[in-house]
Amino acid sequence: MGKPNDLVQGTLDLLILKTIALEPKHGWAIGKRIQQISREVLQVQQGSLYPALNRLERKGWIKAKWAETETGRQAKFYWLTPSGRVQLGKEAANWSRLSAAINLVMQRS
Amino acid sequence: MAWTKWLALFRRERFTKELDSEIQFHLDQQIAENITAGMTPEDARRAAAKTFGSATAVKERAWESWGWTGLEQLAQDVRYALRQLRKTPGFTATAVLTLALGIGANAAIFTLVNSVLMKNLPVVEPHTLIRIGDNNDCCVNSGTQDSGDYSLFSTEIYERVKKTMPEFESVAAMQAGFGFNPVIVRLDGSQETAHSVMGEFVSGNYFQTFGLRPHAGRLFSDADDVKGAPAVALMSYEMWKRDYAADTSILGKSFWINTKAVTLVGIAPAGFYGDRLSSTPPDFYLPIESMPVLASAPYVYKPEFSWLYIIGRVKPGTNLAALQDKVSALVKHSMQETQKFTSDDEKKSLEKAHVVLLPGGAGIQALQEQYGSNLHLLMAVSGLVLLIACANIANLLLVRGIRRKTELSLRSALGAARGRIVRQLLTESVVLAALGGIAGLAVAYGGAKMLLALVFPGAQAVPIDATPSGAVLAFACGLSLLTGVLFGVAPAWIAAQTEPADALRSGSRNTAMGASMLQRGLVVLQTALSLVLLVGAGLFSQSLNKLQGSDLKLDSKNRYIVHINPQAAGYTQLQLESFYRTVEQRFHALPGVKAVGLSLYTPMEDNNWSTGVQVQGQPYADSGASVVRVSPEFFDSVGTHVVMGRGVGVQDSSGAPTVAVVNETFVKGFFQPGSNPIGRRFGSPGPQSSGDFEIVGVVEDTTYTSARWKDHRMYFVPMLQRPASSKEPIEEDTSLYAGAIVLQTQAPMNNMEELARKTLAEINPNLAVVRFQTFDQQIAERFNGERMIARLTALFGGLALLLATIGLYGVTAYTVARRTSEIGIRMALGAQRTGVIAMVMRGAMSQTVVGLAIGVPVALLCVRFVESQLYEIKGVDLGVLAVSVFALVVATSLAGLIPARRAASTDPARTLSAE
Repeated sequence: MGKPNDLVQGTLDLLILKTIALEPKHGWAIGKRIQQISREVLQVQQGSLYPALNRLERKGWIKAKWAETETGRQAKFYWLTPSGRVQLGKEAANWSRLSAAINLVMQRS
Repeated sequence: MAWTKWLALFRRERFTKELDSEIQFHLDQQIAENITAGMTPEDARRAAAKTFGSATAVKERAWESWGWTGLEQLAQDVRYALRQLRKTPGFTATAVLTLALGIGANAAIFTLVNSVLMKNLPVVEPHTLIRIGDNNDCCVNSGTQDSGDYSLFSTEIYERVKKTMPEFESVAAMQAGFGFNPVIVRLDGSQETAHSVMGEFVSGNYFQTFGLRPHAGRLFSDADDVKGAPAVALMSYEMWKRDYAADTSILGKSFWINTKAVTLVGIAPAGFYGDRLSSTPPDFYLPIESMPVLASAPYVYKPEFSWLYIIGRVKPGTNLAALQDKVSALVKHSMQETQKFTSDDEKKSLEKAHVVLLPGGAGIQALQEQYGSNLHLLMAVSGLVLLIACANIANLLLVRGIRRKTELSLRSALGAARGRIVRQLLTESVVLAALGGIAGLAVAYGGAKMLLALVFPGAQAVPIDATPSGAVLAFACGLSLLTGVLFGVAPAWIAAQTEPADALRSGSRNTAMGASMLQRGLVVLQTALSLVLLVGAGLFSQSLNKLQGSDLKLDSKNRYIVHINPQAAGYTQLQLESFYRTVEQRFHALPGVKAVGLSLYTPMEDNNWSTGVQVQGQPYADSGASVVRVSPEFFDSVGTHVVMGRGVGVQDSSGAPTVAVVNETFVKGFFQPGSNPIGRRFGSPGPQSSGDFEIVGVVEDTTYTSARWKDHRMYFVPMLQRPASSKEPIEEDTSLYAGAIVLQTQAPMNNMEELARKTLAEINPNLAVVRFQTFDQQIAERFNGERMIARLTALFGGLALLLATIGLYGVTAYTVARRTSEIGIRMALGAQRTGVIAMVMRGAMSQTVVGLAIGVPVALLCVRFVESQLYEIKGVDLGVLAVSVFALVVATSLAGLIPARRAASTDPARTLSAE
């Protein structure tokens, strides 16, 4: 750890939820996707990703199922549950408010 | 989603497998990507593993998010800890044994201290009870006290306190010396023979003051404690259960107590053992007013005789300082009013008359005073043993922790989280401490029982609870736990902090000395403390030997002592002359009996009568001597030799001229060297009384009351001769009653006790045997306290030595194990076996030497704290010191030699190729 682009605690949950909001993905794809979309700025540590997925599953926001990938291998796919979708809305709103507030502070001073 | 959580718990295995596949999938994806980027498959795999990090840690953390890990890991850790401990049985046994002994010994001693020194009487609200008086003077006193501090009071003073002190809700009085005046009891209309039991005379409000309820029947009331009231008694619950099978039908029945009929009206509450801790608690309680009749005690109504202890319950909010002054004034005033004091000394000490009020919740603290210093000493000793035990545990765990450095590094390298490793080691220490604690519990239970038996040998119903209290056990277990945690985790933490790669690389070759300063320091500490304890044990054994070996100037061979109580059997003073003759004749008639002596008391028993002494024609020098009334054959029967003149003879009957035999110290104390004491006269101080007795003989200094009373002035007067100047009516002279019959036989007789009982019962069925012992048993009993201390300090000293030896062995063995390859190289380069042994021994013995260097001065310094408890020993005897040092050196040499020999048998070729 200790890298500059480490994810703030809690932010990783938001990113995971957002990433699988459109379609179910497996762990590897989730990490890759976050990396791509953020133009390589956000690096998801594998040591954090899998425990985070388990945490979200326990909270009932996501569900997991083994399925075949496009290359024909078995992988564990995660998708959002209805309560996960609600949670995503909440966390996204929270994030917008927070980042807007931070932007305001940064511009004024 | 509670149910998925539960599901997860039962499907941990499946969960792990799934996670494994998931991680494998992830890695495969990464590898594929790496290969696409142009890496070789081998590089791609390595890079993927590197990016992913520790899969084990990921799995742990993923599982943790299900919230089951705490409990599960604990169970896992405990299982693992037990497995680890089983794998090293030597270590485990040593640690558990050390803890068990340390904890057990302490818990046992603290239990005894707790129940003897800190426990209140089993009464209602003990904290509002106040005792008037702060010492344990006993049993019947008269005259003034030099210190002016009174604790023993006359019936007169008790009545005055009761009547004029509204500060007391209730104030009770109790006989001080009941232990010396057993009563003879027989249930009317039963087959039982009269037997001697303890009976205490108490005021009518005694039980009410303590707030007690009867177990059966009723307690005393003030109406029972008036002159002329029908004689009543209460029985202790213990005796009721023991002798009458808790039969309630005996209530209301008549008992013959000292040949007088008394009605049993109640059973005292269960667990109540009277107003003081004692190895002979009262079996009967009787009202004070019945004492003149039942015990023919002449002093009950005499204001000049003090014989009662007073305990009262004060009203809430009473100012105790003011009350103390008030009672002091009352005592002084009452003494002035009711007694005549003529001498200046007496007047001076009367001015100082006062009392001190003490908390009375624990009752009369005679036993506490007797054993207090011994118990505190034992507490200190067992505390030191616990310290040594803790040092040992610390050392064992340190060694173990460091030895496992490689194992821990390996586990860390394989991906175990550091916190998890530390937690595992913590669990191990706690499991170890728990095992030690359980074993300690067993030692504590057994130990407390054993201690009680050692302190009160032969006692049947000591009212002392020998069950360790929770607080005591919690303290001891807590301490061991702390030791375990502190010294078990510290090395583990250090080990876990090191970079695994470094630890693994350094391998087993190590030329450093191995054991740390901390370990060596602990061994030095142990050695020093053990020496102190060994020296202490040596001194107490020496003290006991000196006491037992001291020349008591008597002969105990084939001698038996039968304690009797003719007064309780109903004899009046005027009947005694013929009674004594009968006793002598009947016992002489028994085959094998050589001499039959009668006396007020015998050598080496807990009794003493003394008077002031003035030699006729000399001024009174404020000095006194002990006095014993004896029969003609008494000196022969106890083996006292007459050195000048004659002993007491048959001609010295009650009507004959009053004579006395004195001991050699008496002569030295009262007469000029070289002057002939025969024919001189002495007596109690006073112009007339100083001529009461003519000295007819001198005997050697046979030891009476205590072996510590050496060179004690004594005189002996014939059994029934009364001083001419005595104004006391003969009916009140209780000193005429013989307390013991001494029998000397030609050969040992096993049936003597039975014969004595039969012979006495034939003379008078009420003549119960109060106590039967051989002379040797009686003497040995007087050394019980010293013997207990000597045995226990020896036990603890040995324990300390054992622990210190184990400690040194552990450290040396560890050092040798660490240096195996170094020693191998040395031997390969030509080092001799003896050289290797010497090298290891040098290391081991250097710690012993440092320990001794610290221990010897500490021991010398500590002796002064126990000197008062030693007999004729001042400072440390060189012999004791030499033996202690020798024992320690031998033990530690052995502890060093075993690993040294193992080191010397190192096979260089094998150790070097093992790497």
